[in-house]
Amino acid sequence: MSGAWYLGWRYLAFHKLKSSILIASITLMLFLPTAIRVLVSDSAAALTARADQTPLLLGAAGSPLELVLNSLYFHAGEPTTILNDTLATIQATGLGEFIPLNTRFRSRNNPIVGTTLDYFKFRDLKIADGRQFGMLGECVLGATAAAQQGVGSGDYVISSPETVFDIAGVYPLRMKVAGILEPNSSADDDAIFVDIRTSWIIQGLGHGHQDLARPAAGTAVLSSKNGMITANASLHQYPEITTDNVLEFHFHGDNSTFPLTSIIAVPPDNKSGTLLRGRYLSNNEGLQMVMPSVVLNDLLDTVFVVQNYVILGLTMLALATVAVIMLVFLLSQQLRRGEFHTLSRIGASRRYIGLLVASELTFVFVGSLLLATLLIFIMKQYALQILQGFLSF
Amino acid sequence: MNNGNYSRLVLGLLTCLALLACGKTENAQSKSAKTASAANERPIIVASNYPLFYFAGQIIGESVVGLQAEFPQIAGDPANWVPSAEQIQFMQTADLLLLNGAGYESWLAWVTLDRDHQVDTSAGFSEQLIDLDETSTHQHGPEGEHAHQGVAFTTWLDPQLAIKQAAVIEEALTALEPERAESFRANLSRLRSRLEELDHDMASTFIQLQDRAILFSHPVYQYLQHRYKLNGRSLHWEPNIEPGTSEWINLQKTLGEHPANIILWENEPLASTTARLSEMGVRSIVFRTASNRSDQGDYFDILADNIKRLRTAIN
Repeated sequence: MSGAWYLGWRYLAFHKLKSSILIASITLMLFLPTAIRVLVSDSAAALTARADQTPLLLGAAGSPLELVLNSLYFHAGEPTTILNDTLATIQATGLGEFIPLNTRFRSRNNPIVGTTLDYFKFRDLKIADGRQFGMLGECVLGATAAAQQGVGSGDYVISSPETVFDIAGVYPLRMKVAGILEPNSSADDDAIFVDIRTSWIIQGLGHGHQDLARPAAGTAVLSSKNGMITANASLHQYPEITTDNVLEFHFHGDNSTFPLTSIIAVPPDNKSGTLLRGRYLSNNEGLQMVMPSVVLNDLLDTVFVVQNYVILGLTMLALATVAVIMLVFLLSQQLRRGEFHTLSRIGASRRYIGLLVASELTFVFVGSLLLATLLIFIMKQYALQILQGFLSF
Repeated sequence: MNNGNYSRLVLGLLTCLALLACGKTENAQSKSAKTASAANERPIIVASNYPLFYFAGQIIGESVVGLQAEFPQIAGDPANWVPSAEQIQFMQTADLLLLNGAGYESWLAWVTLDRDHQVDTSAGFSEQLIDLDETSTHQHGPEGEHAHQGVAFTTWLDPQLAIKQAAVIEEALTALEPERAESFRANLSRLRSRLEELDHDMASTFIQLQDRAILFSHPVYQYLQHRYKLNGRSLHWEPNIEPGTSEWINLQKTLGEHPANIILWENEPLASTTARLSEMGVRSIVFRTASNRSDQGDYFDILADNIKRLRTAIN
């Protein structure tokens, strides 16, 4: 390092506080607008990645955004439902694979997602501990849900009643945790997955109780006539499904009328997708088919407008910071007049002194640039976790 | 700070950047290794009863290395099977789950399996399925009554229906391994010939009964009865359980209306039951349904033994 550069470096090293403040200011000036751009674009990418991975959604007619948010992020409080029969109808078209979802219920703050095994393949969800749910009453938990509930495979979680006043309504179901999923950095981490039929049992559409034809039913039998047994209200219903009582669980009513909150449609090609969308364009069956990516892009357009305003503000702030830094430098030159005079007297030329000042500026700006780059790089690595922490999706 | 310190600072920054970049590359490499190992695995084929397992094995043949059908270890009649968690987990890994259908797999109502991999081998002849006579109805609460009813499921006792089921298996196997289609077709053809031969043997045996009344110890012979036009009636007797007084009284009544002198059993009945039936002039013949693995031989061996015993009894 030549003399002027070395002297510049030593000057900054000696005035640590002043140098640090300068570097921190310039680092923040460079980091903030870029960080906002990175966070917004990463959050947009995270949102659209899940939406892009979900070609089509079929749900009840109404708000497309609500349908997408509920099906992709399990956010809606009480989602509107469609009939299970809709699944059979759309499957009969042969225009793709169809995955039913029933996301109405929760266990504490975690959504209970009733679905089929196809969902796990579709989202590429892997079991980290335990096994996949294999029977009614079993569940697998996302990594975050397991941590929040404080359970592991072999433990139990209980479905929450929809309201505290729902005394005569749905009984909580105690569900065995069959396995825990690997972290997926998506809404699936927060969810509790069950067989779609288990979600109907939670809803009270199916239940299990002792065999009324056996003498053990005793006082629970109100009447028995011509092979038809009527039970009274004292009939004990099982709060948990086990291998011992699973054969006594059954559903009442026509299961084609049971509810689904949405159906994920995965057509094999664009033509099938277009045909599927065409089928539900008329909306005369109280249904709507949406492309989640289109719905979310509409939402993101608004986010990007807000982002541009924020960046404009930060740019103006950055210009002000540059002006202040220049002022600090100019003022410091006045204070260092004696130092420059001494240098001049011991033989330093004006050019040499100019180089000394320029070296100090260069060190400050290059140091800030490197620090800002490092911060942006680190933030980019952890952007998704940061976003999840703030936005919980 | 001297020159050394300055160099160390720059080196430190560069190392941080390099480490962060490496993390992503390692993840990508381990992911692609996992995918490669999964691609090397052979398809898993699981059958829900012994006849389907046997037919699948015959159609696959011995030439296809590594491809074989699996049939879980089931104690007793597979119709009453309650799969364990491990067995369910195994079935979830199946690429092809061969089901008898006709309500045979009652466990499907509470087990979670991939629907796309399930093949109902009797779905193609649903109009030929025989309704069960019995229906039990119960009611509780305001939801109204509900009934449990179904159809007979021992379809494989009718060789013509068995041929149809075997054809469905061949179709499913061909979809799974299209490059083996020729071999599967040839093996199915051989299996069909053997089933035709079995059908002929059974027909020539049962025809000797003419219109003689016979009894079935259990309602599992509906397709046999329908195929060979047997004049039979079903009881609800288990071979390993001594019939109670009411059963004997009911049998007396049945024999009054339906004077049978032969009763077909799914398995060897108790000696005391056989003796008492003999006293009543009813001869016990074991006619196994071959629904599960047996030390008596394969599907054809078991049915051939059934025919042999029946012929001996008739003659």
